[in-house]
Amino acid sequence: MYGKKASELIKEFASSEPGQLAAFNNDLCSQVIEECNSHLLHLQSLLRRMQEEPDNQNNKNADHFGALIHHLSLVRNKRCLMAYVYNRAEVIRSLGWTVERVLPEEIEEKLSLSEKEYFKNHSATLQSYTSELDLDLAVDMVPPKDPYIKVRVLDEIGNVVLSDQLANLARHAILFLRRTDAEQYISQGLMEELTG
Amino acid sequence: MDSGAGEGSGFSATDDYESLIATTDAELLKRAWQNEKAAPEILRFEVSLVQRSREQIQLMEETVEEFTKSGGDPLTVSLYQMDLDRTLFLLRSYLRTRLQKIEKHMFQIQKTADLWNRLSKQEQKFAKRCTEEMEQHFEQSVLSKLPDRYKSHLKQSVISEEDDMVPEAQMDSYVICKSKQFLGAFQLDDSGEEKPVDLEADDLYALRYKSIKPLVESGQVDLV
Repeated sequence: MYGKKASELIKEFASSEPGQLAAFNNDLCSQVIEECNSHLLHLQSLLRRMQEEPDNQNNKNADHFGALIHHLSLVRNKRCLMAYVYNRAEVIRSLGWTVERVLPEEIEEKLSLSEKEYFKNHSATLQSYTSELDLDLAVDMVPPKDPYIKVRVLDEIGNVVLSDQLANLARHAILFLRRTDAEQYISQGLMEELTG
Repeated sequence: MDSGAGEGSGFSATDDYESLIATTDAELLKRAWQNEKAAPEILRFEVSLVQRSREQIQLMEETVEEFTKSGGDPLTVSLYQMDLDRTLFLLRSYLRTRLQKIEKHMFQIQKTADLWNRLSKQEQKFAKRCTEEMEQHFEQSVLSKLPDRYKSHLKQSVISEEDDMVPEAQMDSYVICKSKQFLGAFQLDDSGEEKPVDLEADDLYALRYKSIKPLVESGQVDLV
């Protein structure tokens, strides 16, 4: 059945949780591409036949329709492949907003080579934009309610110079930090915010 | 910040207070931010507004620092700080929303001159690099392995008449909007099938973005 593998690819993406990535399905992709190539061969042979025997009325319509089906299936496979790649890239881009430069291991092993490169390039692009503007865009994701927030440190970080104080970020310490300082640690999972 | 440079409208009768408040930079920034968040496509970059906001933020930061050094009242300092934080948040969120829209519609923005001109210089650089990376990624993972006449990332195949693989912004999506003044009977679409709608001041309407696009651009209608 033409196009079945491509739709499996899409279903795999759709069934994963939004924002989460499954491992890049290299096998299925290459199968779809093989199918595309075989469509091309059929298409080319049909076109050749139509050209070589323009007077053969018996097969003319069948050839035409056959060629059209092959072309449309090819194009559909292409759309599915590109949708798969594009949507995964979208998820990767959103990672770039939260994770900064280095990907955690569990995510990295799910990406294909090209996706890893894409992530690197994209972070670099974001980085160059922010440095041109001189304004860090990754903080302040939530509207501020207080200038200082109460945080508990989850991992040992040690002495750190923050924008207005020198703090000793020992494990389990509870501190009042400036929101913008705390956010980078919270997004990395090294601190948690204490509300109430 | 709210007491900062107003846009100086004439002092007349009853609405001088309101118009003064309505045209401070903080209010303008808030409005630009709201519009940008609600609109399905990217709007014009407010170059001078962003510039002025940044200068004022700079000024504010210096004032706060001086105040804390000279031992000012902690409550006042913290109020100034809050104001500063809120303005910074608006600015950052405004720029972030725009970047995310650029990422989402990068190919469409690159193709359409009108949309391209709505970007700031740095955003244009960003958009260009985004499209290059995306193209490269497509090439490497999919397109290089496909047959010759199907290699474009913009067209499905060589015989497509237009760039049919470019996702476009949904101009038909509904937005909630409010008009500042009474705008009278307004025709919602070109074909004249729907009756004209009266747009009263300060009433909320849910309309298709396409119909009110020119009003949003001229600033007569705000998105909520």
